[in-house]
Amino acid sequence: MTHTIPVIETRRLILRGPEPEDYPDFKSTFTSYRARFMGGPLNPYEAWMLYAAEIGHWQIRGYGMWMIHDKVTDETYGMAGGWKPAKWPEAEIAWVIWPDAAGKGYALEATHAARKHFYRYLGWETAVSYIDPKNLDSIRLAERLGAKKDPEAPTIDGNDAVYRHPSPAKLDGTQLAHGIDMEIAHYADPLFKPKGWAID
Amino acid sequence: MTLSIPVIETERLILRGPRESDFEAFAAFGASDRSRFVGGPFPRFRSWGGFLATYGHWALRGYGMWMVEERATGATAGRIGFIFNDGWDEPELGWHIFDGFEGKGYAYQAASAARAHGAQHFGLDGVISYIDPANTRSLRLAERLGAQYERDGEVAGHPCQVWRHPHQGAAA
Repeated sequence: MTHTIPVIETRRLILRGPEPEDYPDFKSTFTSYRARFMGGPLNPYEAWMLYAAEIGHWQIRGYGMWMIHDKVTDETYGMAGGWKPAKWPEAEIAWVIWPDAAGKGYALEATHAARKHFYRYLGWETAVSYIDPKNLDSIRLAERLGAKKDPEAPTIDGNDAVYRHPSPAKLDGTQLAHGIDMEIAHYADPLFKPKGWAID
Repeated sequence: MTLSIPVIETERLILRGPRESDFEAFAAFGASDRSRFVGGPFPRFRSWGGFLATYGHWALRGYGMWMVEERATGATAGRIGFIFNDGWDEPELGWHIFDGFEGKGYAYQAASAARAHGAQHFGLDGVISYIDPANTRSLRLAERLGAQYERDGEVAGHPCQVWRHPHQGAAA
């Protein structure tokens, strides 16, 4: 079995392809209320099929969703990466954080790194995120990543808001890029205590 | 990006890993009445997920379902192989023959080859098949393959029969 899913290292995290031993963590989140904005909660069969499809996506598209691990403990925190089902208007940058790992900036750190990878190595010029308008935590994360609501872009089914990510040029040594790096650095600081409610 | 899915050749068929070009045939089967015994019909996006999951199953379990290619034409004739999803009691041998390819003995040929391969290479011997009691063609195929009715069961929330295949040493 030769899986050549690239491995990405960030300050605190390591992003690897989804592996069989990570399935129980995926299943607990996707069969829970946490999955309500991602088509869930799913039953075990649906969760399995989705997990297998996450792996298949890499095979057929050449990109997909990484499993987010702690660099030190190897514990999983969620997933981040790219996703494009058949007939979706555009490729999406997506993320999910297990409920227990929320509020530590992991989604920001992982998604920022995944986006960089797509821009640098796959030549993406743009990307969107399709977000349920009620999913406020995800909308906030999209905005922290510099994405803006794009009312012109086609939606998947009319029930989702489309957030357009900044172009590669807008993330190349810009104030926006420095701001994201600084926020990640704050989260990585053990003394940092985020104010307000938990954010991904 | 390559999963090493083995290729099995029979007299008239090639069993191989899925390719993106198989998707239309796969989705057409899923959308048709032919899929009613395997949980369908499915909307196209569900078929897409199921198609991707075919790859993922190989990665997760080390075995899975092959696409069945008609050797003479290169057409995608069906899907066959081993399924062990979350919620299954044990690995099963499953077969889906697409519209226009039934009645040619393909399912028998492919199932025999897949079953023998599973026993030899995957340690899957004496496996089961879940079959909807109304799916008379599949029941007949199970009988021809030498499988025996074992019990009534359930898979993914659907009541079905569990058929047990003979151990490959015994069948030979």
